[in-house]
Amino acid sequence: MTADLSRLLNALGLVAVDTVLVLAFADQLWFRDLPCPICILQRAGFIAAGFGIALNLIFGPRPSHYGLAILGAVIGGVMSADQVLHYIVPGTGSYGNAVFGLHLYTWALIGFVLIVIGSAVMLLFDRQYEPSGPIPLREVTLPLLAVALLGLLAVANVVSTLAICGVGLCPEAPGGYLIFHENLGLAQIKSS
Amino acid sequence: MMSLPFILFACGLAAGWTSRREAAMGFWVAGVLVLLVLFRFHATDVLNLGL
Repeated sequence: MTADLSRLLNALGLVAVDTVLVLAFADQLWFRDLPCPICILQRAGFIAAGFGIALNLIFGPRPSHYGLAILGAVIGGVMSADQVLHYIVPGTGSYGNAVFGLHLYTWALIGFVLIVIGSAVMLLFDRQYEPSGPIPLREVTLPLLAVALLGLLAVANVVSTLAICGVGLCPEAPGGYLIFHENLGLAQIKSS
Repeated sequence: MMSLPFILFACGLAAGWTSRREAAMGFWVAGVLVLLVLFRFHATDVLNLGL
């Protein structure tokens, strides 16, 4: 696998991670399905995994970058698996909306597993690590957009999480945006 | 506090964007550590499973 093909595949992988995070926001804002605390942490897991892919696009592919992606996906996958196991017994409830028959934490677990498998497969190809010549602008447009979107989504999640949880830990089942009720939780800090 | 991992990852991406790889990876490590601590705080229920 050449460095060019590796860059393209990494860019497509990061676009997929960005898409997951955008869809999570769509579910939150369009369908008013507020994320639970573990759901928020799973979003951070996707950003942690995408971070490694982003470093591949910025600095060129390196095994250590794939390592970050795999570790981020494993951590996120543990969180998703924890939530899946909570509701795996029929009749024990669920959290949030189902999409195509599966809840978002189940889709998240599938996504994390795919990131681990994809990164492991990419690690198999040594030619991608060889230095390559100057890269044409048209070949860096998609990678740069994907990295910029990941950064934007990280910042958007800062705002969203502050709005839902305030400055402390999140309520276990958020009933609304704390920002509209508790002044970002600052009232709690002042009273304590 | 829950937004801290996102802040650290955003700072890491900004560091990477400005070609500071070591700083980017440092922010990633810090973000992941905070993520694990927050997971420890929130994953408090015992799973009702017989393994």
